[in-house]
Amino acid sequence: MFYSQAMATTTASVPSGFRRIFAWPRLRFTLTVSAAIGLLTGLHSKATLPVDVLRALVVGCAVLLVFGWLEYWPRRMPKWLPRTVLRLIGITLVIPLSAGFAFGITGGGTGHDFGLLTVVALLFAPWIAIGTILRQRDAFAREQALEFELQRSEFERRESDARLRLLQAQVEPHFLFNTLANVQALVDSGSPQASRVLTSLIAYLRAAVPRMHSQTTTLENEVDLARAYLELMQMRMPDRLQYAIHLEPAAARLHCPPMTLLTLVENAVRHGIDPSEPGGRIDVDIWIREDRCVMRVKDTGVGLRSVTRGLGTGLSTLRERLKLAFGGNAQFSLTEIAPRGVCAEVSMPRREGAS
Amino acid sequence: MNATALIADDEPLLREALVRMLASAWPGLDIVAQARNGREAIDQFETHRPNICFLDVQMPGKSGVEAAQHIGRRAHLVFVTAYDEYAVQAFAQGALDYLVKPVEPARLAETVLRLQERLRAAQPALDTEALLQHLARVLNPDSAPQSLRWLRASVGTTVRLIAVQDIDFLRAEEKYTQIAWRDDTGQPREAVIRTALKELLPQLDASQFAQVHRSVVVNLSAVSHVTRGANETADIHLKGRQETLPVSRTYLHLFRQM
Repeated sequence: MFYSQAMATTTASVPSGFRRIFAWPRLRFTLTVSAAIGLLTGLHSKATLPVDVLRALVVGCAVLLVFGWLEYWPRRMPKWLPRTVLRLIGITLVIPLSAGFAFGITGGGTGHDFGLLTVVALLFAPWIAIGTILRQRDAFAREQALEFELQRSEFERRESDARLRLLQAQVEPHFLFNTLANVQALVDSGSPQASRVLTSLIAYLRAAVPRMHSQTTTLENEVDLARAYLELMQMRMPDRLQYAIHLEPAAARLHCPPMTLLTLVENAVRHGIDPSEPGGRIDVDIWIREDRCVMRVKDTGVGLRSVTRGLGTGLSTLRERLKLAFGGNAQFSLTEIAPRGVCAEVSMPRREGAS
Repeated sequence: MNATALIADDEPLLREALVRMLASAWPGLDIVAQARNGREAIDQFETHRPNICFLDVQMPGKSGVEAAQHIGRRAHLVFVTAYDEYAVQAFAQGALDYLVKPVEPARLAETVLRLQERLRAAQPALDTEALLQHLARVLNPDSAPQSLRWLRASVGTTVRLIAVQDIDFLRAEEKYTQIAWRDDTGQPREAVIRTALKELLPQLDASQFAQVHRSVVVNLSAVSHVTRGANETADIHLKGRQETLPVSRTYLHLFRQM
């Protein structure tokens, strides 16, 4: 039972192994060389030429078998024995053995013929083997280079996908419908606040709905957008959100990639203030420091603890956006502050806005 | 005796709106308590024992689903949610009572009829335990099997977030993991986090990060080239870094196959 199972697996796996070892180009090469050696030894041997060629072919095939087999077996090599050395030892040993076998089946060989075939085969086979191994290594290196090239282009492709995605910033349905429910509540109760809140919502939607056409905006626009968003959120959680925005007047006209500030502020609300029962405070500061413009959003929310996983898409796209706009010349950092909360800071080159 | 209800929503305007709408859709209903989060909802429930609970799904601290799990079958539950694909899908499939914000009067009227019917027939509240467990899983962002984007790490004395794609490689150091990454200026930096490498590994994007050694995981895009060493080993050379990383035999196939 055990035995038959073992047999079954062996027969099933052998063809692929044999096909690999006796791949046609290799076999053709081996047969050609063996035949040549057969003809060569035939010049000096006592046997007829076909017998010499047959013997050489037997030896050649045996060498190919051992050479190919030792490429995969054993799967793990001991540290002190390189595979190449093992393969050379293998073919050196198999030459006299297979020559003996060849003489056994053809019969009538002499000691002189046996010695001749063995010596000639031993002269040629190791060099051919070394040549083959070197060629294989070359091919391996080329394959590897190609592989890395493929991977690199794959990453580049993904990067451009990310660029497209970030240009299509989306309004979250959850945010939109929750806000609309609030607006409806204000309208239903006849609150005078309703109109102002609608204005904020319109300002927010105008900016947040995909705007492929505008690649840049000014810090002033960004602040207006962030303020619209914060006003909406404050309407929704009046007892849990306070905020203050300070924009240095000289920075108002500076260039800023769209949605930069909004992403930071949305992130502070969503991952800092909203999950916190008592809520907290958001401080936005934008100022000029020498030739750079610094944007800082501090919140007193729940901190980084709970965010490492949920957080992501928004900030990842923000990084991409900064990279696209300023190359490596913009910095973005997110740090935890005491006693609680997060400080997000973007530093970018000071660049006058186009409009 | 009038039916009693609790309303839980973290947004005051929406609480008021629901109170107003219920006043016209069900004048006989007493709103005995209002809560601003899941924890308050549970407290108020225990104090007032209302017949019906209207629970906002997303609330700070404990969510509406968690509050519902606590309340169990002791009250009829109605979930209130702004558009949320997963929640609405789960509610609809589980035949739970739910309202979508902004609440439509017609929809509310239907819900009110159903609740009145159940109260009149003295039907017990629906058994929702299994469904709520499922919902809690679906709605909890921490449970979503997405790959890690940011790592929270100590750099010197500050705690900061490192973007996963900025990491060159991670190396296990007993219970800690050493992270070699690039700051915004492309300078190589090192940081340490308290999570073991084997816990991080399943969360990393497998198409970008490869384990090449028992204790080393490398970002494939940080690899400059690989040199093959003697006897079935290899060394990884990184872009802009001096150190090389070992590839152990078990992982060598990564750099062999096409």
